[in-house]
Amino acid sequence: MTAAMHPVLRMRHYPPGDVVDAVVVGTGAGGAPLMARLAAAGLSVVALEAGRRWSPAEEFATDESEQNKLFWMDERLSAGGDPLAFGKNNSGIGVGGSTLHYTAYTPRAQPDDFRIHSDFGVGADWPISYDDLAPYYDALERFLGVSGPASYPWGPKRDPYPLHPLPLNAAAQLMERGCEALGIRTSPAANAALSGSYYQEGVGWRPACTNRGFCQAGCSTGAKASMDVTFVPLAVGSGAEVRPECFVTGFEQDRSGTITGVDYIHGGAEQRQLCRHVFLCAGAIESPRLLMIHGLANDSGQVGRNFMAHTGMQLWGRFEETVRPYKGIPGGLISEDTHRPADANFAGGYLLQSIGVMPITYAGQVARGRGLWGDELRGHMRGYNHTAGINILGDCLPHEENELVLSEESDARGLPKPLIRFTNGENERRMTSHAEKVMREIWTAAGATDLWAFDRNAHTIGTCRMGTDPGEAVVDADCRAFGVPNLTICDNSVFPSALAANPALTIMAVSLRTADRFLATRGERGAVQ
Amino acid sequence: MEALPAYPPGTVRALIHSDLVTPPTRRALGERLRRKPTVKPRFFDRHAFGVVRTACDRMIPQPERDPPIDLAGELDGRLAEGSGDGWRYAKMPPDPEMHVRGAAGLDQTAHQMFGTGFASLPSAEAESVLHVVQSGKASGEVWAKMDAACYFEELLALVVDIYYAHPLALEEIGYVGMADAHGWQAIGMDEREAHEPAVSKAQRGAA
Repeated sequence: MTAAMHPVLRMRHYPPGDVVDAVVVGTGAGGAPLMARLAAAGLSVVALEAGRRWSPAEEFATDESEQNKLFWMDERLSAGGDPLAFGKNNSGIGVGGSTLHYTAYTPRAQPDDFRIHSDFGVGADWPISYDDLAPYYDALERFLGVSGPASYPWGPKRDPYPLHPLPLNAAAQLMERGCEALGIRTSPAANAALSGSYYQEGVGWRPACTNRGFCQAGCSTGAKASMDVTFVPLAVGSGAEVRPECFVTGFEQDRSGTITGVDYIHGGAEQRQLCRHVFLCAGAIESPRLLMIHGLANDSGQVGRNFMAHTGMQLWGRFEETVRPYKGIPGGLISEDTHRPADANFAGGYLLQSIGVMPITYAGQVARGRGLWGDELRGHMRGYNHTAGINILGDCLPHEENELVLSEESDARGLPKPLIRFTNGENERRMTSHAEKVMREIWTAAGATDLWAFDRNAHTIGTCRMGTDPGEAVVDADCRAFGVPNLTICDNSVFPSALAANPALTIMAVSLRTADRFLATRGERGAVQ
Repeated sequence: MEALPAYPPGTVRALIHSDLVTPPTRRALGERLRRKPTVKPRFFDRHAFGVVRTACDRMIPQPERDPPIDLAGELDGRLAEGSGDGWRYAKMPPDPEMHVRGAAGLDQTAHQMFGTGFASLPSAEAESVLHVVQSGKASGEVWAKMDAACYFEELLALVVDIYYAHPLALEEIGYVGMADAHGWQAIGMDEREAHEPAVSKAQRGAA
């Protein structure tokens, strides 16, 4: 491990009374990349992170319960026809944010994902296109060290991935077998975990993945490209300060509405960091929640609206072969043949991925999804080593009734808990039913028995929509908030549509673009001298 | 229950102390393995604790283990510490209240169906009560105000979460993912590392 992996030893510190150029709230896929780019451009940057800074090698156990420390456990209230699970389903905390527990899936969105309204007359187009993000996708895949095939069968022509694919585990092999029998094309998936050791500019060497299979509960080796081993050290190396265990509670504004300071709690004490610009990157729940608590950036009334969650049904089956689903990168194989299915009776589409699973996660799904208990449950779980799954990741349209609001209940800090209403619409239901049929065919062809589907939705998306009309969007195409001169919002909350791809890579691409647009236009806007 | 456990006894317990397991993983699992059973509940009163323990015994029966994995005690501890899982159904009361009311509800349903408290029911009767609560068809004052099926799902999810966190339960299902020090090379179908025990017939067939 190089000295560059321990940037904390030489991290710059800014007194809270200093007026820094930028405060970044949150250090996940939305905050970390832009923080690195702003710092590299010479700006003084302080990132406030609610969670801890971890030393994965010493503190990450290969144990699901122990790793609950990576999840955002402040209570959220779930309502609607399909109430969502939060916590370990989709919400992270700590330096690195949700990338600490992401599965490292890094497919790109496809060009038509960004114009779903133009193509289908539903949902919303993005004010930016695939071409705007393509150079950032390229740069990210190189910087993070994405492992993937030399030739990817779907989407626009692209360069080979910088690292060869990770090895296929049993679930991936089974999906390959089932798809081959049905004539569905597959490919080793793009994953931001290293198939070989890799030198990262400004960071140092990162080791190859050991197939530990535990991406979703924290990588202990640094092979997975979470933000804490990539953009955070890059940013710190360029002079940014990352301040962990700082929970942002509010903003100080002057009479023009310009934010002059960010209030936070650290070690039980209230603090204020003065600044010229704020980048709010706290995710699609905490970002809108903070804005709503303070009545910020909401002239449009759109903050909290357009909440979306990917369709994410998982299909499980039992195989004669041993699977041992705890090994290898969980999502080793992908198919995007269902990106725009010819026989679809819905807008958009979905991708298919093989999945590995850890025992507590699987047992919880069996309990909630099948309602098994007693001897039946213990008997089912004894077949764990013969269990393999596939899942979809599909688009989700914004619906009028799906939103985040502030509840009447307060948390331990006295702030209102967020309440999220979510119901899958007709489009999501049709897509899921199409997908369930396809997945059952694949798993049957692969030789599975005892098939069962666990319906779920994945990720938190929307709530601070990006758009061109200040009456209908919260931020513009550069993620600058309408109505507050020096506020930028950059995380999955700004997505106008959900996209049929796992979101992390696109969040990072938007983050880098946001930093570049900020740097390119700051003279005109005068926010930073 | 059939005498199934066929995973080589002691495998996980032996693994934990080997250098195939990293120190943070050994710490987490070892601490859980050594934890003493709860004698005096910290969250529930004695009566409610008896109700919850009976529910745990039926949700995860462990006739072959003495002492059994202490599900009710662990659940009581989690509630005493106020550690939640980051969300709850908006229609349900906060977790502590839900669990107190839910225990009272199980008792009420037991009285309605069998004329006695839930904790004193024989296994089959206790299971009948749980089935009625799970189906959402339980009647009574508690369930008129709180969704019975939803309570059952929450309780079951928590009990299952506690059980499968335990090294002995992991041993039962043939999970050795805690052997994390060197990672895995043999990751394909029907492949295993030298230090991975074979999966037994029992683990293969059950569904």
